[in-house]
Amino acid sequence: MTDMKTKASASPVPTKVAQERRSMRRLAPIAAVLAGGVVILILSYTLEPFRNYQLATVGAYFCVTAGLTVLTGLNGQLSLGHGALMATGAYSFALAQNKWLSLPLSFVVAIAVTTLAGAVIGLAAARLRGPYLAGLTLAVAIVVPSVTSTFDETFNSDQGLSVVLDPPPGTIPMERWQAWLAWTGALLTVLLLAFLVRGAFGRRLRAVRDDETAAKLAGVNIARTQVLAFVVSAVCAGLSGALFAVLAQSVSPGAFPLTLSLFLVMAIVIGGLGSLFGALLGAILLVALPTFAQSVAEQTGSHRLEGNLALVVFGVVLIVVMLAAPGGLASIRFTFIRRFRRER
Amino acid sequence: MATGELNLHHIGVRFGGLVALDDVSLRVAPGKVVGVIGPNGAGKTTLFNVISGFVTPSDGSLTLDGKPWRPRPHRLSGLGIARTLQGVGQFGGMTVLENVMVGVRGRRAEAEAFAALDRCGVAQYAAVRPGTLPYAIRKRVELARALASKPRILMLDEPAGGLDTDEIRWLGDLIRGELIKDSGTTVLLVEHHMDLVMSVCDEILVLDFGKPIALGTPGEISTNERVTEAYLGAPA
Repeated sequence: MTDMKTKASASPVPTKVAQERRSMRRLAPIAAVLAGGVVILILSYTLEPFRNYQLATVGAYFCVTAGLTVLTGLNGQLSLGHGALMATGAYSFALAQNKWLSLPLSFVVAIAVTTLAGAVIGLAAARLRGPYLAGLTLAVAIVVPSVTSTFDETFNSDQGLSVVLDPPPGTIPMERWQAWLAWTGALLTVLLLAFLVRGAFGRRLRAVRDDETAAKLAGVNIARTQVLAFVVSAVCAGLSGALFAVLAQSVSPGAFPLTLSLFLVMAIVIGGLGSLFGALLGAILLVALPTFAQSVAEQTGSHRLEGNLALVVFGVVLIVVMLAAPGGLASIRFTFIRRFRRER
Repeated sequence: MATGELNLHHIGVRFGGLVALDDVSLRVAPGKVVGVIGPNGAGKTTLFNVISGFVTPSDGSLTLDGKPWRPRPHRLSGLGIARTLQGVGQFGGMTVLENVMVGVRGRRAEAEAFAALDRCGVAQYAAVRPGTLPYAIRKRVELARALASKPRILMLDEPAGGLDTDEIRWLGDLIRGELIKDSGTTVLLVEHHMDLVMSVCDEILVLDFGKPIALGTPGEISTNERVTEAYLGAPA
């Protein structure tokens, strides 16, 4: 034992260099989130209301894609049911908001309910692998929206519920207020996730993904890690759903179809699996591509294209990105920097 | 923590009609190096799987520090037991340093993981992903991961497989030197490489088709007729 200690202090890396590097790494997420907050604040004052609304939508999507990329990219659990978890969060938020009319309380209720839902699905998911897990979560994505028509007295079937919101404080326009709310949620989520995945929990997540036998021997409780990962990402999805309820000021099953769940997975794959920055890129694409598709469809004047072009565009982008950068958009940055360094 | 005395009492394992282990008893005394040898399919790895909880024995029982014990894989490292895997089994999506850090608890995880890599002579690969490294280096990383948790019982499953003569000598020195003399670690070794087994072990258990056929010091084992027979076939 004494031998180990002398060796540790004699070897160069774990001393000063490593400590500096470690504190840098620890501060990096805070710096990124602060910078992000400043950018959002500036954008929210300069953008016109509709663009502000889109900015808010990116923020709301960012919550769910960040959670999903941690689950799928770092822990290796593929979920095709995160749209349903968003719906759970949205409906919980709507019911709480219409009852008590308190924004913070409604967010807490939405998060609490999705934590519970995530734990239940996560417990089942921890016993399943690969396509079976995808199948289970797919079933959740299909079942949850139809719950609304089964219990239509509470959820008001396909019509959905409208969400009563207090007017924003002061003279802040609604869209700017929504952007602030959405991005406060998104930045807090990402900050927490960044700290989680950079520590021992993140190492355990990836260990379970890469080799379960070796992870067990390293003392990792596989099932507990998987359930925790699922709960964490479910909470992110629930918060995202609640934010969508704030944005639309209504909730309906039509807002959380199966295609939403699939789009979320596509977004994190295009952005770069396991990367929080990639999750941001994915969230931006989720808003930008349909808008782009719609404007193209309007210009060509074809009504048939309008609903379907977004799917085509997403598919084409997925294929192009996977051919050009199999690690997703977030990986391009690194290869570029590496090339730059080598040339110097 | 106690020094780690492991006892196997009449262990039997059946996979359907196949008897993988039959009435195997073994006492692994603290601080000793105990080797398990035998021809292919003799049940060596199955025995390791029983001790690490991947296989539940059909008969018999285990004790750890004199107490009845039912091993569970993810609890081993908490009990101070580490095991390496035959097929290397590394986390491909993580750096070598992170690989080792998974098994280390506490605030000094990084320093301790690095120290373990240094001890195994692979500290320079800390920032590399294991998939890009040659097999022999990965074996050392695997060993570093097991050592980083500072185990009192270390189970090595064919650590010399794929290594050349110099590397095997290094491994033997490591087991006989720092590991045993300095920290009193108990070592359980499954190995095909006879020179290594004979030079590092205090005691050797020989299995053949799941049955224990001999137990003794290297000197006794190398002159045992049944062992020669099991390895080379019936005597002329």
